[in-house]
Amino acid sequence: MTEHKIETPKERQNRHKAMEAAAVLEKIKHDFKEPPKAMEYFYDLFERVHCKHEALHGDKAKVGTMCIQVPSEIIHALDAVPLRLCNGFYTDDEIGSDLLPSKSCPLVKATVGQFASNNFSDKPDIVISPTTCDQKAKSGAIIENMGFEVYDMEFPRTKESHESREYWRRSVRKFTKDLSQNLNTKLSKKKLKDAIKKVGYAQHLYHKLNILRKNNNSPILGKDMFLVTNAFFFDKIDNWVEAVEALANECEQRVKDEISVASKRSPRIVYTGSPPIFPNLKIPLLIELSDAIIVADETCSSNRMFNDMVSVDEWFVNDMVDSIADRYLKGCTCPIFTKNEDRKRRILDLVRDYKADGVIYQAFAGCQVYEMEQKSVLEAMEKAGVPILYLETDYSPSHLGQLTTRIEAFVESLKNRKRRQ
Amino acid sequence: MKKIRDFINNADIRRFRFWLQLLFFVIFIYGGYFAINLGNSIPVFSCGYDKAVGGMCYFLPLQHQLARPLDVLFSVASISVLIGFVTFLLWFIIFNKAWCGYACPLGTMQDWITGLRKKMGIRYSTYTQPQFDKLKKIKYIMLALVILAPMGVGMGLLGGEWRTAFCEICPGRMITPLFVGDVSQWSLDFSTKTAMILTTLGLIFTGLFLIGSFFKKRFFCFFCPMSAMHYIFSDGALLKLKKEGDKCTKCGDCYNVCDMQIKDIADDVKSTNILRDDCIFCMKCVAACPEDDALHVDILNMKLFTSTKGGFAKRMEMDRLEKKND
Repeated sequence: MTEHKIETPKERQNRHKAMEAAAVLEKIKHDFKEPPKAMEYFYDLFERVHCKHEALHGDKAKVGTMCIQVPSEIIHALDAVPLRLCNGFYTDDEIGSDLLPSKSCPLVKATVGQFASNNFSDKPDIVISPTTCDQKAKSGAIIENMGFEVYDMEFPRTKESHESREYWRRSVRKFTKDLSQNLNTKLSKKKLKDAIKKVGYAQHLYHKLNILRKNNNSPILGKDMFLVTNAFFFDKIDNWVEAVEALANECEQRVKDEISVASKRSPRIVYTGSPPIFPNLKIPLLIELSDAIIVADETCSSNRMFNDMVSVDEWFVNDMVDSIADRYLKGCTCPIFTKNEDRKRRILDLVRDYKADGVIYQAFAGCQVYEMEQKSVLEAMEKAGVPILYLETDYSPSHLGQLTTRIEAFVESLKNRKRRQ
Repeated sequence: MKKIRDFINNADIRRFRFWLQLLFFVIFIYGGYFAINLGNSIPVFSCGYDKAVGGMCYFLPLQHQLARPLDVLFSVASISVLIGFVTFLLWFIIFNKAWCGYACPLGTMQDWITGLRKKMGIRYSTYTQPQFDKLKKIKYIMLALVILAPMGVGMGLLGGEWRTAFCEICPGRMITPLFVGDVSQWSLDFSTKTAMILTTLGLIFTGLFLIGSFFKKRFFCFFCPMSAMHYIFSDGALLKLKKEGDKCTKCGDCYNVCDMQIKDIADDVKSTNILRDDCIFCMKCVAACPEDDALHVDILNMKLFTSTKGGFAKRMEMDRLEKKND
């Protein structure tokens, strides 16, 4: 007689998540023209972590971060691993729906949902919650009530003034001190310098790879780039660096050999708005399945995470910490800030630089700040003569038909425009 | 051509600057020993009280010239004043404020003091923005002193000891001659009340100069009347500091390395000519900019040195990783 084992809720949830992840991975791997060989590492990594729920970091201290504004350099310098907890799973989104208002952002719901089910392959020892948008800031307290250690990191909502710079610098200094105490590790000049250089090198590699997408024959599709940047959320930085080195070299060769992943007529798209986080790569996949190619993006799960780099004049701990602080505030184009001129300039610069034909702006239903900024960005693009499509989506697998129709129509119109030129 | 350009854009500007500063320092301070004389209309503080000066600060002759009686000053006899001024402009127009960042001996001395502080492991201090906004105006008061005090003497309104009033309080007068072993400037002049006050102020400013520049990078340059004078003519200079606002992400890397704490360098995305009155044209901002072509130094509208992603990574040693076993 065969033995029947009853599935625990956790196992069931993991099975659902694995199914979700596997379905998306299948699409990414097989529905497109041949991806670079070095992408294998990332496909395998996502399978290990998200389908098999393998832990990557063992006994190392793990610091969960709720937004990109938490300086990873400092966490690395304190011998801990930063784990970005922004979540893209619909399974977790549904769990979170019971805990948050119905009109909340799916990303926040999914993140809270994961904490509610306490289902981590690498469980964070402490969670850093910067006071960025309202929903993230408030969910910090909800997570704390579930019994997790949460550290609120104060973040200003304007960035132009001298006061905001000082405020944020103080906030980062305090964070550095508190985290060092919490982890019982001393921060040394050498360790911080090494960490800045290591993260800087990772950024440098990202740029090296990203710049290749400027070529008319782009060597890599946007969906693969999103995987690469998503992996930076949780992967061991050394492994990530090695894999991206290989990928950048291969892509460089592809450019030389004039191997392109898209056809000559494929419209080139700049992607902006709410961050696509694995496995919610719905929109990027729809875009690229409609014969367009994402050549650049302005999102916090990808470009914004890597773009601005730390520069230090004098390598003392204080100066390094202040320089790090500036990089996370001043260049940030997050819509939580009162003004968004920087974001508009940034998108236009990407359009010019990457020779894009149009912009696709995704906002999660419930992500108020991105929804509110939509109009001004649309106006700015119209003024500059850049076609833009605005989409409102969530994590649910429904509405796919409608989204496909809209995206295909937009891509078609871009193709017509291109032909006329 | 591309190779040369890449070489320049990837260059370690700090080392280049250090040697160039040293070269100018030797020329200006010890030039007399090698029979170098670049005249006396030099747009930097290479002090005329230094016996071996290889090219004299324009302010010393300027003050003497302006102190002529008014009818002489505005007559044909003062053609030499005009010539001196034109020479000053010609020197200035080629290099713009790069004179401050690369040639000024007093600036170089401050950078050396900064180097000493760094060696001692002490961090620098900064001004807050409101302090900065107030302090930066002092240099225009100083410039007014340079021009109006000698004219006052010429008109007979002020005593003769006001003739070179600025030089009396300038730290350069006391410090520069030390490099040729001359300590005669280190004394108070008790001949008149004014002279006593001025030389006492000079001693105080010299002390402030030494202490200030130890803690604050380029401390004196905030107050420098030469810097103010430069700024009046800087629009016409050949060498220019340019910014392309579209490419700027306002990350503030340039502001972070700026010795003069110029906020506009990071925050102003509208101006193309980004040279400000405090700027010493050291080009550290261009070297620290990680965006391609966002900041560049132009000569006659040709890019001489421009910010690049690659150059940034190289200078910050982020273009490679030392492999370690952990």
